[in-house]
Amino acid sequence: MFKRLFDWLRQPLGLIAVGIVLLTVFSLAAYGIFLTQQSSAQPIQFPHRTHVGFGIQCLYCHPGAARGPSAGIPSQAKCWGCHQQIAKTQTSALLAPLKQAVESGTPIQWVPVAMVPDFVQFNHRAHVAAGQNCEDCHGDMTLVTIAENPQVFNMGWCLDCHRKAAGEDEAKLLKLADCGTCHY
Amino acid sequence: MSENFSRRDFLKLAGLGAATTAVLTGCGPASRFVRREPYMQMPEYTYNGLSTYYATTCRECAAGCGLVVRTMQGRAIKTEGNTNHPLNLGKTCARGQATLQGLYNPDRVTDPIQKARGTALGRESGNLLDWDAAIQVAADALGKHKPEEIAFLLGLAPDHLDDLVRELAEATGINPPLRFGALSMFEARATLSRAAENLFGKSGIPYFDIGGAQVVFSFGANFLETWLSPVSYTRGFAQMREALSKRRGTFVQFEPRLSSTGAKADEWIPIRPGTEALVALTIGRLAFELIGGALPRAFSDVDPMQAAAKSGVKLETLQRLAALFAGSPHSLAIPGGPALGLKNGLSVAEAVLALNAIPNNFGKPGGVFFSAPAPGQMESSRAASTREMRDFITKLADGDIKVLFIHGVNPVFELPAEMGFKDALQNVEQVISFATFPDETALEADFILPDHHGLESWGYQQVGTGTAQSVLSGAQPVVSPFYNTRATVDVLLAAAKLAGGAFAQALPYVDEVAFVQHRIAPLMRESGGPFSAPEIGAFSAYFQQHGGWWKKGTDLLPPNPADVLNRDLDQTESEFVGEGEFFLVPFVSPTLAEAGANKPWLQELPDPTTTVMWNTWVEMNPATAHDLHIENEDVVVITSEAGEVEAPVYLYPAIRPDTIAIPFGQGHSSYGRYAAGRGANPADLFGLHFNQAGDLAFAGMKVTVRKTDRKQALSRMESLMGVYGEGLGQEK
Repeated sequence: MFKRLFDWLRQPLGLIAVGIVLLTVFSLAAYGIFLTQQSSAQPIQFPHRTHVGFGIQCLYCHPGAARGPSAGIPSQAKCWGCHQQIAKTQTSALLAPLKQAVESGTPIQWVPVAMVPDFVQFNHRAHVAAGQNCEDCHGDMTLVTIAENPQVFNMGWCLDCHRKAAGEDEAKLLKLADCGTCHY
Repeated sequence: MSENFSRRDFLKLAGLGAATTAVLTGCGPASRFVRREPYMQMPEYTYNGLSTYYATTCRECAAGCGLVVRTMQGRAIKTEGNTNHPLNLGKTCARGQATLQGLYNPDRVTDPIQKARGTALGRESGNLLDWDAAIQVAADALGKHKPEEIAFLLGLAPDHLDDLVRELAEATGINPPLRFGALSMFEARATLSRAAENLFGKSGIPYFDIGGAQVVFSFGANFLETWLSPVSYTRGFAQMREALSKRRGTFVQFEPRLSSTGAKADEWIPIRPGTEALVALTIGRLAFELIGGALPRAFSDVDPMQAAAKSGVKLETLQRLAALFAGSPHSLAIPGGPALGLKNGLSVAEAVLALNAIPNNFGKPGGVFFSAPAPGQMESSRAASTREMRDFITKLADGDIKVLFIHGVNPVFELPAEMGFKDALQNVEQVISFATFPDETALEADFILPDHHGLESWGYQQVGTGTAQSVLSGAQPVVSPFYNTRATVDVLLAAAKLAGGAFAQALPYVDEVAFVQHRIAPLMRESGGPFSAPEIGAFSAYFQQHGGWWKKGTDLLPPNPADVLNRDLDQTESEFVGEGEFFLVPFVSPTLAEAGANKPWLQELPDPTTTVMWNTWVEMNPATAHDLHIENEDVVVITSEAGEVEAPVYLYPAIRPDTIAIPFGQGHSSYGRYAAGRGANPADLFGLHFNQAGDLAFAGMKVTVRKTDRKQALSRMESLMGVYGEGLGQEK
């Protein structure tokens, strides 16, 4: 019985059928993988532009960047510290989720924008300490509402910058371009 | 594979597929479907993505081991031993590891509550209070009664609460606090202390330097399980067994039932219960005969032939053991556990301690010492013996006590039912419990004013024994309290202020932290500590950061051995009460003990000798069981003069045929979902008989065993096929 099936598959019509099945499977897999790389919508259309425009420093809301691996998303208590004094907070539709979250005591579920894979051990602190500015990697926040990544955070991009930072210094290059610097 | 599609092609195609998948997924995050919840209120000292570690003290038993708890974003996630803490040097036991399951236990008491006695905890049966009302209740209890009508019953640990209540008692004349725990009953602490007093002229818990010993004889001391300070004694044991730098030490355990400590011994001597003192003295005599010289008075009366006959240990064995003991200058004999819970327990303790005079190891490495007194430890603050508890219960029953405060102990479960604690509470006007969990005693209270869990509390604990150094172990909250609970010290401070009069003057502290600082302040002037600071704020911060305060070097006190052998020691066999045919050896479950049963990790942890989990069992020798036509897992009823207990049989070859054993730790009627309604409590069997030092003769009973027609499967790790041949078609 299997022999008959194989024989049929070997004739031109059969090969076309095999091709169609393979293509379908591949497309489905590709679509599935594509889906995992799409992020869901932000709970609040947070206007970075406005906040930076008011002169608020990045590190005011993301202080973790200066002292640890993760920059952190501000607690809503921090948001509320200013917003409870702003009349618009009570009326604005944009701010309704914040008001609701604070009043009901439920955390806001933000969607992270800048991410690296789990096998990359990224530490903000070292980069801030080395004199990098936030916008060097994250782009100019005066131009965007929700933060957007100006580039893909891939290894080539990281290494490119690490090499430039090392310059002619061999010892420094050894440290900055070592696999174990980011993958451990 | 067909001719057109070769193995090589297949591999190529498979490789291509794998590479495609890797390229498509491998260079980005595995998924972008991620949401992040920031804190609503960011706790202080919290850095995103970084753990914070806090040093504190383990409150699972009274030993006082130091912990370092790893917290992540305000949640305690792992406990480990504090490497610098002299008692446990970075190690913990299973109970220390499981302390997190107390913190996150779903059955904690979450709010202060007024309730009807004897009812389960629930919104229907009780009336939730706010803390102002709850403190008013405590204040009225203090202020509206005569001082002698107020009593405090506290847990075994000598902690800051004990000190506070002691201060309150001294200033106002209320009854001094009574400290008790089931472990002190099973360890027979009062007996050890009294034996030391009789032999050395000074009371106190002896410290046994197992680590420095070469030959260790233990008479019932289960020092690798729960005895006194199991983590430190386990470390000492490991040191004794270490064989790289010296000869590996030898360990002999004398006990009728092989405990998990005994299972680690080179030799297990299953002596007849009640003959411990006789055997010890016989070994003493035989050892002296080997050494030569005049036989000291202590050992002169025993007849080795008779002793061999009575104890069931062959004379040659006794001679061989005596030679072993006499053969090393670093021999050590330790009395403990069920051997002291006999009617002649004090004689056993004295006889075994006297054996140490053969190598004369008193005050020498590998020998017997008095435990180093902890900073601030008072002679008067020792734990109550079981007889003192009985006297206290009589006072309760007589109505002499109108208000009883209970903290850190669960006497309804831990004390023998025969003692009637629960009934005696009927004659107490008001019972106020500070329980963290709805245990049996808390349910008998009128009010529960829940204390924080140990990992949420400030404090300190005096380390009574187990280390050569003088240690005050520090405790601090590692997480903010989860529930509407309040530190008992704070409640008492507030209540005393409200109560007015002498009470208001007695405790001039702002809060718990101020009290702790007040108590540790004298240490600032002591030299030899691990840190120093010019003012109390910094000193107290160092105290919490290091996990306590201890002096470098040893603070052990040498006992005075002058009169040890120059006295008559009692060799008579212990009497046993009850008519039954079996000796009963109750032993403490190393993991559950008095308060572990509400933690699933501990329930799930197989008992070290039987591998049974989640239940109570009765250990019986297979030969005995065969004679009685009892099979594995048959439910039997054990009857003593005081009561009955039902449990399935576990056929245990490592127990004398005339002895049965049952673990203590299960049999809770409440205490949360994991503990309640599981197994049986052997304390129901205990009659009120005491040894000469006032400790309960819990192992001094004879009981009957009656088979029922029921079977109950025991969940266990070991394979029944391997042990009993079940499923192999062999005879069971």
